[in-house]
Amino acid sequence: MISAEHLSVALNRQDVVRDVSFWLNDGEMVALVGPNGAGKSSVLKALAGVVPSAGEVRIGGAPAYRMPVRERAKRMAWLPQTRPVAWNLMVEDVIALGRFAEASAPFERMGATDQQAVCEALDKADAAHLLGRLASPAPVLLLDEPCAALDIAHQLSLMAALQAEAAGGRTLLVVLHDLELAARFCPRILVLQSGALVADGAPAMALAAETLEQVFGVQRSPDGRLERAVR
Amino acid sequence: MSRLTIGLSLLAAVLFGLSGLVGTAALPPGDAMAALIGQGDERVQAIVWELRLPRAVAAFAVGAALGLAGAALQGLLQNPLAEPGVLGVSAFSALGAVIAIFFGFAAVNSFAVPLAAILGAGVATLLLVFAAMRGAGSVTLLLIGIGISSFAGALMSLALNMAPNPYSLADLVNWMMGSVANRSWADILLGAPGWVIGAALVFLAGPGLRALSFGDETAASLGADPRRIRLLVIGGTSLLAGASVATAGTIGFVGIVAPHVIRPFVRHDPQRLLIPSALLAGIILMAADIAIRVLPFQQELKLGVAAALVGGPVFIWIAARLGRASS
Repeated sequence: MISAEHLSVALNRQDVVRDVSFWLNDGEMVALVGPNGAGKSSVLKALAGVVPSAGEVRIGGAPAYRMPVRERAKRMAWLPQTRPVAWNLMVEDVIALGRFAEASAPFERMGATDQQAVCEALDKADAAHLLGRLASPAPVLLLDEPCAALDIAHQLSLMAALQAEAAGGRTLLVVLHDLELAARFCPRILVLQSGALVADGAPAMALAAETLEQVFGVQRSPDGRLERAVR
Repeated sequence: MSRLTIGLSLLAAVLFGLSGLVGTAALPPGDAMAALIGQGDERVQAIVWELRLPRAVAAFAVGAALGLAGAALQGLLQNPLAEPGVLGVSAFSALGAVIAIFFGFAAVNSFAVPLAAILGAGVATLLLVFAAMRGAGSVTLLLIGIGISSFAGALMSLALNMAPNPYSLADLVNWMMGSVANRSWADILLGAPGWVIGAALVFLAGPGLRALSFGDETAASLGADPRRIRLLVIGGTSLLAGASVATAGTIGFVGIVAPHVIRPFVRHDPQRLLIPSALLAGIILMAADIAIRVLPFQQELKLGVAAALVGGPVFIWIAARLGRASS
């Protein structure tokens, strides 16, 4: 369970997130969508506590404000949009770091053979980061564009894996650019525009024709495809 | 313990033994060997136990401290060229030691020299980390390090110019070139607190250094505290480098070469890098010190010079490779 109340974030004295409030229940998988610069990543960073923010974030019912970093990390894992690695770390070590809050033990002492299998299936450096977050003890996962740079088959298998995590009781907030993917896999969608939450609900409602046109500048063609809206 | 650590420890032990057997006094190996285990002629025992072994221990301790400091700084700054010598930390540390000696603090308390050296190292490390936090890249950091080094050198000559002592110039050379000749057990005991506490601080930062490979923000989200890691490494490397400089003067490049050699064997992990780097750097300096004793020069080559003769070209090679990788 994670909630944000009147969450605001300012970067370089500019408000990038304005008064955003939402509540995610246990086992919910929610997509966070919006055009570039809408503040999706900033919302995630504020929830993860890596940028200063105003408003209240609660994780598992407890206020995240002033929660020790390790405690916060045990309750919530954040996959950033850019994932630099300073050294040529092995995939196993990148994954193992996801469990840092619980135990900084190296991969070989984690008993993680099943993860290795997934790893081979995905075979991607980014996948290692994602697997690390899945390996973390945190019940809440904040994933910033996990599908970026994945081909379609891997996108589908990844989203299915995330669905399984939600079915297992985890709470997931996933930033996605692909609206079709979001509508297909996430029962609930949050839509951000210029730092404000403009829609929150089931895909049919959150991605209604009006929202699509006003927020994303697209419309659905008669054969069901998304196209640039002509104004 | 990994196989690498065990192998390096064994090698270090062998070199310690060898150190007892090799020196300017031509002792028969059999006598020296006997002296090593406390047997035989007392004069031979004195040479082995009071001259050769302290020197070997000093060389190993200084090398290990510099290797550990180098590995930790590289992890913190995420830069394979970081090292106390290159970044000017050792130079500032030497400046602290020189000030303590020539302005009489050393006469008051024998711990004044190591303390001043540690303080000097701390000032330089703080400067560097401050620059790194403001986003200075590899090149900027190295340039700042060069600046710090030269500045410390100038301040050191200034301090020696003002000091009322005719031996200053020779001393300056000693501090700048580094040596473990004629070090006694007492000298080693003076450095020991700095080495022990410094190493402990760096090891505490170890797991955090690994998390820091992902950058500050991600490390924080994983449950590591970047500020704590930074403080531990700054404090630890200052103690390590300061105690080493107080014992042997400035010795460059071992702290950069050892982690570079070890890194592929520990899967590029900044935490696993720490102990083997320290061992290898200690081994390198100990081997260099043995080599110096056997080289047939009229005046003994300085250990710092020997280290730089080998380390300098390796540093240039690493830097050139880095430049190619990033361009």
